[in-house]
Amino acid sequence: MTAPKSIGFPRMMQEPGEKRVFLPEFIQFIANLGVKVYIEEGYGSRSGYTFDDYRRASPNVFMCSREQAFQKDAALILRSPKPEEFQLVKRGTILISMLHYPTRPKRIARLRDLGINSISLDSIADDKNLRMVENMKAVAWNGLEAAFDWLEKDWHSLVRPDKQPINVLILGTGMVGKHAIEAATKLGNVERNNDHIASNGPGAVALSIGRNVASNAATMKHLMEQADILVDATQRRDTSKPVVPNDWIAWLPKHAVVVDLAVDPYTLDANPPVVRGVEGIPQGSLDQYVFPADDPKWDSMIPESIPSKHRRTTVTCYSWPGVHPEACMTHYAQQLEPFMEVLFEKGYEGLSLEGTYFERALYRATLKAWLHEEESDPQVKREAD
Amino acid sequence: MTERITIGLARMHVEFGERRDFLPSFVARLIRRGANVILEHGYGSGMGFTQEDYLSAAPEAQFASHEEIFDQDYVLVLRCPVEAELRRLKKGATLISMLHYPTRPLRVELLRSLEVEGISLDSIKDDNGRRLVENLKSVAWNGLEVGFQVLRRTFPAPGMEGKDRKPIQATVLGVGAVGVHAVQAASRYGDMNLWSLLAKRGIPGVQVTAVDYDVVRQEETMREILSRTDILVDATQRPDPSRYVIPNEWIGWMPEHAVLVDLSVDPYNFEVDPPEVKGIEGIPQGNLDQYVFKPNDPAYEKIPASVSTKNRRHVASCYSWPGIHPKECMELYGNQLRPIMRMLIEKGGVGNIRPKGFYFERAISRAMLSNWSGSEKSEFVKVNGKRIEKRNEE
Repeated sequence: MTAPKSIGFPRMMQEPGEKRVFLPEFIQFIANLGVKVYIEEGYGSRSGYTFDDYRRASPNVFMCSREQAFQKDAALILRSPKPEEFQLVKRGTILISMLHYPTRPKRIARLRDLGINSISLDSIADDKNLRMVENMKAVAWNGLEAAFDWLEKDWHSLVRPDKQPINVLILGTGMVGKHAIEAATKLGNVERNNDHIASNGPGAVALSIGRNVASNAATMKHLMEQADILVDATQRRDTSKPVVPNDWIAWLPKHAVVVDLAVDPYTLDANPPVVRGVEGIPQGSLDQYVFPADDPKWDSMIPESIPSKHRRTTVTCYSWPGVHPEACMTHYAQQLEPFMEVLFEKGYEGLSLEGTYFERALYRATLKAWLHEEESDPQVKREAD
Repeated sequence: MTERITIGLARMHVEFGERRDFLPSFVARLIRRGANVILEHGYGSGMGFTQEDYLSAAPEAQFASHEEIFDQDYVLVLRCPVEAELRRLKKGATLISMLHYPTRPLRVELLRSLEVEGISLDSIKDDNGRRLVENLKSVAWNGLEVGFQVLRRTFPAPGMEGKDRKPIQATVLGVGAVGVHAVQAASRYGDMNLWSLLAKRGIPGVQVTAVDYDVVRQEETMREILSRTDILVDATQRPDPSRYVIPNEWIGWMPEHAVLVDLSVDPYNFEVDPPEVKGIEGIPQGNLDQYVFKPNDPAYEKIPASVSTKNRRHVASCYSWPGIHPKECMELYGNQLRPIMRMLIEKGGVGNIRPKGFYFERAISRAMLSNWSGSEKSEFVKVNGKRIEKRNEE
């Protein structure tokens, strides 16, 4: 059993709006575990951090190139490296990232072929199979915040012209939907809500429905006609069919905002094809997540075969937590700290299901555990890479 | 080598309906991790477990009287023992229980005077202040399960299972920690099996309207919402427990068949100034012995005369909703406590718990009475008199 002695932090090379990096406090925490920490040159620069911010108070923090960051005993990067970047990772390095084993069979093959000891952050789960590194709350709150921000442009202090509460219709009652209810009733932002209450504002009413109500067109017409905000927080069993066909969008008031929290892409070449939950809306990113109904980019972002005649302002983002990068990374760091303690004590090979609570959870996220599970249950559902 | 600790597991001698004790598998784990465990005679009998069940899972487990359990170095019991039992604890012993330091200053004082260490289960928190031992989900799901069972009986033709009925209208007041679970539970009839069954039959589901404290104040809006509500859930955490959320008059706006589900379970307490009242005016307070009340239930007569009970509907109210399903509840608590007890046992007791040690050491340390400075924010406003503790979180 060899405990890792060094860890690299490569930058995420995604869209310019992706500003998330682990914050200096987390880097200090790791360095204080007695590990040498190497951060890629420019790490955090999009958020205004310098190398000195990271190095402060610890001689164990060093600057390195991107290639070198991937060559350490461990490498931690929130979103998965691009396919061609896996070549940069040294054989035997522990790659810690959101690797999404269940839906990325090609990625798994690549990791195995390259001899990378991966730990997938989205697979770290407790004994009840509950994810332990996740930020679903931010998905809901950041999406709703963007929607209320848009409404506030026309409705000063978020007061409707008729002084009635704002109506939010939420589709989906799972984990994200649950957070969406809280975010909706608090106007997507606690501070704004406190001000609103202090000024005797009318507030917001959230209406939550599951698929057994959402499938009824007559009921949906009635509900959508009254909705100021429509939230898609569904987890569809059949992703080839939308929850809200484009024709239904016409029932929404003109001022209504569609909030896309489900973020399934259009993948029409898959079998069966995957379509978005709300038919005819674009998919946003951290570069642009608000699409007014008359946005000229709309047409170019929707496959031609998808009806998109009826449009309302839509807020949609592939990575909602990244909208508030520091809050997001503080959250992830807090979740990750106990796992880092275990990893740097036990090493990858030392992890087992016989260990402590966090060790068991970490073991479940290793590639070896996933491959073992796959061997014993080859029917595990796969989607296209 | 660390010291081997001995843990006594006491039964809860409270209302008859309180059947919860830790499960045999949990006891077995404590012993496997290196503790001596002594169970009170009759432990688990409320859930149908015998002494043989515990011995089968944990052959080294021992049994003793109620009094002898309180003589042990460590005593583990979910709900806090009564004063006489606390006085039985020996100097230097550690009590592991829901001790609710912020709202029980007299208890804190008593334990300190007895020189007893405490580990309050409700104060075991992670580095972000999140409770590690809690069952708020069961508060919501068990309350809604019972609420929908009652609604099934009161729902007008074609009945709750009628294919032609409109979606059921549920309204949840309060969107905090319990409220969000309540919305999810309400959308699924508080019962996953029933939800799946009715969905398969194509029966319309449940529309859940969630409103927070600011909207509840608006009479006009609430009148519209309550007049169409089949099941009303109080999941509020009021900043001022002396004020109703729903005055009794408003209940009169609701359909006759409507069911009121009380998840916040604040008691009526007229011994304090200002008096504390329930969130919904004029409903009885239930416990594990009785948690369903018809409009003509004698329990209404016990409500203080100054509280209006003129408008009545069926009510589901329980002092301790998680206790409705004792095995599930104790399985959850057992799972949450496993890593905590493991740390305590492996460290050889509270004396070796470091406030800046491992994750679970830090969590235990925060819950220790000796580290309690009274600084944790209380959810209650200050009043002059004696408070009645809320049990529902247990």
